[in-house]
Amino acid sequence: MDPGTIPSIIRNQVKPAVILFFLLTLITGIFYPLFITAIAQLVFPAQANGNLIIHDGKVAGSVLIGQPFTSPGYFWGRPSATSPVPYNAGLSSGSNFAPSNPALSNAVKARVESLHTADPANTLPIPVDLVTASASGLDPDISVASAYYQVHRIAHERNLSEEDVRALITTHIEPRQFLLFGEPRVNVLMLNLALDDMTANHVVPSSAMQPDLTLPDEPGLRIPDWIVLVLFFGFFVVTVVPLGRFMVRVIRGEPHILSPLTVPLEHRLLVWSQVEADEEMDWKTFAITMMVFSLIGIIFLFVLQLAQAALPFNPAGVGSPSWDLALNTAVSFVSNTNWQAYAGETGMSYLTQMMGLCVQNFTSAATGMAVLVGLTYGLSRRSSSTIGNFWVLLIRSVMILLPISIIIALILVSQGTVQTLSGPVTVPLLDPVRDASGALVTTQTIPLGPAASQIAIKQLGVNGGGFFNTNSAHPFENPTPFTNFIEIIAILLIPSALCYSFGRMVGAGRKGVSILVAMTLIFVPLLGFAIWAELGGNPVFDSMGIDQATTDLQPGGNMEGKEVRFGIMSSALFSVVTTSASCGAVNSMHDSFTPLGGLVQLLMMQLGEVVYGGIGSGLYGMLVFVIIAMFIAGLMVGRTPEYLGKKIEPGEMTIATIIILFPIFLILLGSAVAVLVDPGKIAVLNPGPHGFSEILYAFTSASQNNGSAFGGLSANSVFYNLMTAACMFIGRFGIAILTLALAGSFVVKKIVPVGEGTLSDHRPLFIIWLVFVVIIIGVLSFLPALALGPIVEHLMLSGGA
Amino acid sequence: MPKPSGKQSPRTLLPAIYRRAIIDAVVKLDPRQMIRNPVMFVVEAGSALTTLLWLQALSGNGEAPPGFIGAISAWLWFTVLFANFAEALAEGRGKAQAESLRKMRQDTQAKKLYLGYEVAKGREPVISDFLVVSSATLHRSDLFYVKAGDTIPVDGDVIEGIASVNESAITGESAPVIRESGGDRSAVTGGTVVLSDWLIIRASAGAGEGFLDHMISLVEGAKRQKTPNEIALNILLIGLTAIFLVVCVTLWAFSLYSVQAGGSGIPVTITVLVALLVCLAPTTIGGLLSAIGIAGMDRLIRRNVITTSGRAIEAAGDVDVLLLDKTGTITLGNRQAVDLIRVDGTVMLDLADTAQLASLADETPEGRSIVVLVKEKYGLRGRTVGATESGTGMKFVPFSSQTRMSGVDFGDVQIRKGAADAMFRHIETSGNVVSEALRKEVKTISLAGGTPLIVTRNGKAYGVIHLKDIVKGGIKERFIQLRKMGIRTVMITGDNRLTAATIAAEAGVDDFLAEATPESKLNLIREYQTGGRMVAMTGDGTNDAPALAQADVAVAMNTGTQPAREAANMIDLDSNPTKLIEIVEIGKQLLMTRGALTTFSIANDLAKYFVIIPAAFLTTYPALSVLNILGLQNAILSAVIFNALIIVALIPLALHGVTYRPMTAEVALRNNIVVYGVGGIIAPFIGIKVIDMVLVLMGVG
Repeated sequence: MDPGTIPSIIRNQVKPAVILFFLLTLITGIFYPLFITAIAQLVFPAQANGNLIIHDGKVAGSVLIGQPFTSPGYFWGRPSATSPVPYNAGLSSGSNFAPSNPALSNAVKARVESLHTADPANTLPIPVDLVTASASGLDPDISVASAYYQVHRIAHERNLSEEDVRALITTHIEPRQFLLFGEPRVNVLMLNLALDDMTANHVVPSSAMQPDLTLPDEPGLRIPDWIVLVLFFGFFVVTVVPLGRFMVRVIRGEPHILSPLTVPLEHRLLVWSQVEADEEMDWKTFAITMMVFSLIGIIFLFVLQLAQAALPFNPAGVGSPSWDLALNTAVSFVSNTNWQAYAGETGMSYLTQMMGLCVQNFTSAATGMAVLVGLTYGLSRRSSSTIGNFWVLLIRSVMILLPISIIIALILVSQGTVQTLSGPVTVPLLDPVRDASGALVTTQTIPLGPAASQIAIKQLGVNGGGFFNTNSAHPFENPTPFTNFIEIIAILLIPSALCYSFGRMVGAGRKGVSILVAMTLIFVPLLGFAIWAELGGNPVFDSMGIDQATTDLQPGGNMEGKEVRFGIMSSALFSVVTTSASCGAVNSMHDSFTPLGGLVQLLMMQLGEVVYGGIGSGLYGMLVFVIIAMFIAGLMVGRTPEYLGKKIEPGEMTIATIIILFPIFLILLGSAVAVLVDPGKIAVLNPGPHGFSEILYAFTSASQNNGSAFGGLSANSVFYNLMTAACMFIGRFGIAILTLALAGSFVVKKIVPVGEGTLSDHRPLFIIWLVFVVIIIGVLSFLPALALGPIVEHLMLSGGA
Repeated sequence: MPKPSGKQSPRTLLPAIYRRAIIDAVVKLDPRQMIRNPVMFVVEAGSALTTLLWLQALSGNGEAPPGFIGAISAWLWFTVLFANFAEALAEGRGKAQAESLRKMRQDTQAKKLYLGYEVAKGREPVISDFLVVSSATLHRSDLFYVKAGDTIPVDGDVIEGIASVNESAITGESAPVIRESGGDRSAVTGGTVVLSDWLIIRASAGAGEGFLDHMISLVEGAKRQKTPNEIALNILLIGLTAIFLVVCVTLWAFSLYSVQAGGSGIPVTITVLVALLVCLAPTTIGGLLSAIGIAGMDRLIRRNVITTSGRAIEAAGDVDVLLLDKTGTITLGNRQAVDLIRVDGTVMLDLADTAQLASLADETPEGRSIVVLVKEKYGLRGRTVGATESGTGMKFVPFSSQTRMSGVDFGDVQIRKGAADAMFRHIETSGNVVSEALRKEVKTISLAGGTPLIVTRNGKAYGVIHLKDIVKGGIKERFIQLRKMGIRTVMITGDNRLTAATIAAEAGVDDFLAEATPESKLNLIREYQTGGRMVAMTGDGTNDAPALAQADVAVAMNTGTQPAREAANMIDLDSNPTKLIEIVEIGKQLLMTRGALTTFSIANDLAKYFVIIPAAFLTTYPALSVLNILGLQNAILSAVIFNALIIVALIPLALHGVTYRPMTAEVALRNNIVVYGVGGIIAPFIGIKVIDMVLVLMGVG
């Protein structure tokens, strides 16, 4: 391809960009969700339509969506922070209260109070999940301990024997899924329906169905938790090499298992968009092509949102967002950030979800992978000038993502993730509640939609933008502990295997595996630290007669903003994985994590989203750190530094240094502006240092293209929508363009053969040194800010202040 | 560090150097000079800012007590001055050397030969042949004449005459050297002094562009260009400084917010932020970077190697292939006789006697070694040539390229010695037969890598002299070290493959190039370079010039010809071929020093955070005092003082370079990470605590 001037490149690339964008939208935004919907409706109709309970011939609610219970005669569920009424399924939400927020301790005090008022004789310690708000506000479950805690009151109110009530609970205990995943728990709505039945019919449950739950009450991680952690790491040990190999074959256009399907499709796409597959691009053409394609994506998604109210596939009749929110969301999805300033239930039509968000979940991830391959070619080609063809790499990346997404989507549907084009369903409340104005609310409106198809790629593409407001905490988005495990695995599946692919493409798999090991060495201690911090619970509750111990009957720990079915370990694991991998999906409210748990999330992003990181972007970011590490290491062994045989000279150091400092500047300067101006400050929910953490988190997440949030921050304002959009855009495309420039700078170089004096690029010392460099740069850049946020918050909280 | 082989700056000069460096350190405060080192420029700007704040505080409305701001400000200035001092000191060493060089270069008189002068063999020019002019008017390729006592005005090539020359001014070696036309000892350097005899020289450089001028400008460091590696490191350091600048500026905003959110305390002062910035910025490496570069050049000069660019030193650190001339580098300059083998039934003593006679007039080292062997092994005393000659009418037959043999005639006796093929012909033309035994012995010696010389008396073979290359002591160990460093050694020799292979095996080189020609050398270098390897070589002859020009690091012997010296990017004044190994080590040491101090500088920051953050936010968040694990009283001042003093403490390291021992990359990296990385994390904790204790003892705080 003749490089030509910038305008001429743009002219040449606009046509294929528009055609391919249209074709990929058709494939990933129409065919893919409709295909999943068809299978779901055929094979898993109950699950795909919301797991509705048919009780006495009528719809009585959804198994997965909790209902509010306030009458003393019913088992109470978890406190819900949705508004205007608790358990408002129309807009899922957590409280986002930080452990240090007095509003949280006041709310918990009031809940403790009302439990005591309803049952003054009960002086048992209260299980923590019964007084802390769930992440989704729709948590259908409580812990076994919380159910047992209420036995005395229920028996008293219903004139039943405590033994019968206890037996009823025991028959309703849902054990760990496959004996491993999640927490033993009780579905409150099902329990209360059975309670009504028992009261009405005097049916005493058979005690023969009782599962064995007589394990010792050892606080801390339990054996199944450890097994899940082993399964988690073991999964990648097994998949990295075969998946890595598979991706290399696809990227190189070599035959692979799915060739019969993908090759003709790829060929057709290239023919229709008039791209020559063997036309190589230099880095400038590559970068401009990427920008043209991405800008088309932003414009299309922006317009689609603004027009959604007037377009079909909008059964819930949602309106159009404000222009600034639409712009923010458009930039957010195209930049693979998926910062969620919108609420899926109330702000997105099905059409936008499918043809807008779902498409970008594929193409933004594929773009990241294409840039990584460009850099890989830059490092592995000898004295060349071209780094591959963007279009070909984009299409092939989509071909990698699509089949895996289909598998994940079907697993999700089978577990209860909804997948339908029908609109919301309205169900009666078993125990009607009054809203804030005192009006009686007797129904619950349950949102549906083509969720599974989008959630699969949201996780796999490390995107993170949820179908519903509370993302993977929502029972429809992440219905069971097993789907939770699948969703966690899906996040790291491709970023981990890409390391191996990279190694193979530059000569030896171990060169990539060493980088993967370095990432893991940073990941494991931070994960352990986060789990430890969350298990520790909230010190403020210690004096309130609340039981925060993690046992086999209750998750314990810091349960504010977490779902019972996931418990502490799986929530902390999800949070560390999602922040490490630039995903941004959440299964618990990060804002409500302990200060140290939140510190880990912040640090994971601030290290540069290079510990696994996004699809492609994580590894290309890490490679920049590798270059810096090899530069200093090269000096220390007395050779002018090189990596993979390519000399690191002023040109490369300039680009690498700018890549490192770019996001740091964005995060710190963005946060500084926000803390100085009123529109920045008023958005804060939690007081004190945690409020600062919320702002810091927002700019960290946006600049590093993570997308998760300390959700207490009211980020849907013109100020934040525009500021974070700018951070997301620059943080993504500034870095991607510089990375391609780096590839262009390396690709022209000779390759110095490996000798005795060459520094190893895969041995343990290299790994340790790389870890050291990544941590030191991250820590030195952010320690002062972290000291004024989570660190001081922790010290104040643990100091009893 | 290996001991410098050349002269060192005399001790008595040192105080003057220090005095001068102190003055220069102040002069260098000029912002126009400082901006060239952005890291230290930021420190200077910070110093100026705190000075203003101090003045404001003195007037009564400062942001902190004037004593505190003043102390911080003073130590920030010291930080800049210390860095300047390090640079000035490194430059000062060079300047002192340049000074003494410049003294020699004072305008000299040149006896310029008239254009029409015809050079004639052995004819010394007379007064009418030349005009005495100032050396400044000499141009390239002008002919001039020097005689005993004259200073050679400019660099040039001897085209006629032979003379002894004192080159101590540049080499530091007091023994005079011989300079003569033709061959590899024809180059002379301007500023050296002719001790005896006379020379006619063709100027190879005009006035002011000679070797000495080049050397002066080099050691003065005035024209010192930053090398690519230095630029790359500088970019990283600027990047880090920029990050810390943003960290400190935004910290001010964060602190304002924290005061509002926490509801207590006062925002962090600008003085503290500047102190934090200076402590975090990589001032240790930033302040010493140019000193390291200058000192690297200086180390090379003290080993009597002149480079044309700093780039060449860095390239030396990267070399993966060393091309070494066999002769003089790997083996002692000459072959030696090690054995006499009789053939065809001659008596051993007769052979010894014949061999001695054949070599009496042979002044080559080989010839002399035969005389020595005969004397030591067979007890035949050397006859004085003159005595025998007068007594029996000995007539010596010198070696000629036509006959390719030499010997002596006395009476009717004709003694000859020479290479095998020439001697076979000689034997056959004399009517004798070359016996199988003789052929066998010749072959045996050749196969063993030796050189057989056949001795004849009156055309009859008496025996064979076994000449052998002697590998230098210790060279094998040197090659093992090089291999450890990842450097391949390749021996270059004009010998045939067989001989070359034997010596290569004996010396332990990795590879060899036999029957080397200028073309084959050039091709070998290109071959290695195409494979991406960096090649270093030494050379002295004109036929080495193309290969020298092609090599990445090319060291010419000072005794070498002018084309060789011009093609090279380094010149070894000692003309010691093994110097190349030292040059490689200096190159590596230079890079290692940079890397070590960078790591140290960055690792230091961790401790500084622990020291400064709790102190800076004490009023807003007293809870942070948990981080003050050292229990410091004057945390910020102590950190700033440590930051300044560490530069001074590391000046010797910057100037001498980190200890270098040949080892694998892995081991070198591990050691340096432990010493400078881990050490860099720990050292400031200890240093700052000690400074704080001293300050407390002094009653501060």
